[in-house]
Amino acid sequence: MKLAYYPGCTLHGTAREYDASTKAVCKTAGVDLVEIDDWNCCGALEAILDKELSMGLSARNNFKAQKTGLDLVIPCSICSHNLSRADTAMKKDEAFRTKIERALGEKYKGVKIKHLLDVIVNDIGIEAISGKFKKSLKGIKAVAYYGCLVVRPSEVSKFDNPENPVSLDNLIRSTGAECLPFTQKTKCCGGNLLMSKQDYAFILTKKLFDEAKAIGANCIVVACPMCHMLLDGQQTMVEKAHNTVIDMPVLYFTQLIGLAMGLSERELELDRNMVPASKLIGSIGKGEANVVVKAAGKAQVAEAAE
Amino acid sequence: MIKSSELDPNFKYEIAKEPGGENIMKCFNCTGCTVGCPVTEIDKSYNPRKILRKALLGMRKEVLTDDSMWLCASCFICFERCPQDVKITEVIGAIRTIAQREAKAGKIKIGNNKPIFDNLFIDSVKSNGKWYEAGVSGTFMLKTKGIGGAIGYAPMGLELFKKGKLSILPHKIKGTNEIKRIFEEVEKK
Repeated sequence: MKLAYYPGCTLHGTAREYDASTKAVCKTAGVDLVEIDDWNCCGALEAILDKELSMGLSARNNFKAQKTGLDLVIPCSICSHNLSRADTAMKKDEAFRTKIERALGEKYKGVKIKHLLDVIVNDIGIEAISGKFKKSLKGIKAVAYYGCLVVRPSEVSKFDNPENPVSLDNLIRSTGAECLPFTQKTKCCGGNLLMSKQDYAFILTKKLFDEAKAIGANCIVVACPMCHMLLDGQQTMVEKAHNTVIDMPVLYFTQLIGLAMGLSERELELDRNMVPASKLIGSIGKGEANVVVKAAGKAQVAEAAE
Repeated sequence: MIKSSELDPNFKYEIAKEPGGENIMKCFNCTGCTVGCPVTEIDKSYNPRKILRKALLGMRKEVLTDDSMWLCASCFICFERCPQDVKITEVIGAIRTIAQREAKAGKIKIGNNKPIFDNLFIDSVKSNGKWYEAGVSGTFMLKTKGIGGAIGYAPMGLELFKKGKLSILPHKIKGTNEIKRIFEEVEKK
């Protein structure tokens, strides 16, 4: 499989471990990624509500992808939303298409755009990708966190259920790791308020940690660099603001399946995550020790034998 | 009390003309947007149903100067659940665009910092083609929180820098002239 690749700004900056682990996993899965030439910022969350500007900036990347003749894969949920929305408008909204074609001096035909999670779960398929796994991640008790734009709005992202998505849950389970039921899976992390209303952003982020910890998860798995910025990058700030200890590793799903593929921590750039993943990686293969079992309203610690 | 003599019946048409605002008149005020809103959950002053109702009534000034609309986190839950396909997230965007235009003309004042950050971000994309994280974040802190705020942000910046995640200088793409033309086209009225 050969795909055009749009990393977006964060994957060359704060989310560079997502870029590295995406490339490593795709290589192992036999997917060739061709980065599109001279791409630009999609306008991100900052222009998302300035609809024409956001779609105009995104459309330039679609033109670049169109030149490759390949389908386009995007790991960032914000970029993926923006470029997909621009593709639809370029096809359906003649006035908008005329403006952008005039600006760029080219004709638009269209490009098929997919989020990386969609490509891995549906195009490659869980069965085929798990055929590349070399070790079980038993011992990892994860929650799958989709956030907003991976599955919403469903008129843009069509590959999973917008209220109760399961693709990431199923992928996590295929590694041998446990995936716990998580009612916060599509709640907002507050990413778009990080700079302008940090206290609110941190309240929203903390709610996710509260439930993940309460149900006994030892890591959160994400498919969006903004979610990762809040959950991993800002975790110590959330701890400070709420005077608490969270200590929860947050992995990109590509880092998780990379571990199952037997790829090295270095290749997956796990050392670039702000919250160290070493304890989590140490728990792989350790079975079910210290599982909290809720019996008759009382929590008791059950020591399960290896 | 709402004074009907002060209402602007054209406000809803003004919103409907902005990209994203087209469906505002489909709203029948069912409150579905508001019950699912994660921001309303922590701050009752942000109420998307009220913003839409007031806009439809023509309470132009009250809507445009209501700083709570800058609290929308663009999570798209209301967009997804709206039974009337109002596309509320984008309607909020259309109202924000009008508010920014009014603020630029000196007619209203915006109390929330969100547009300051967004505009710095968009300006950096306009000149580089990519966003300049260190520059935009630093300038924003300096503008909104003063030198103390900028210093307070420094440890986080340093952590990111040490992990190789933050570049001191901006990255510029080759096609910045194309970016400029896109801006010119979408800014045309």
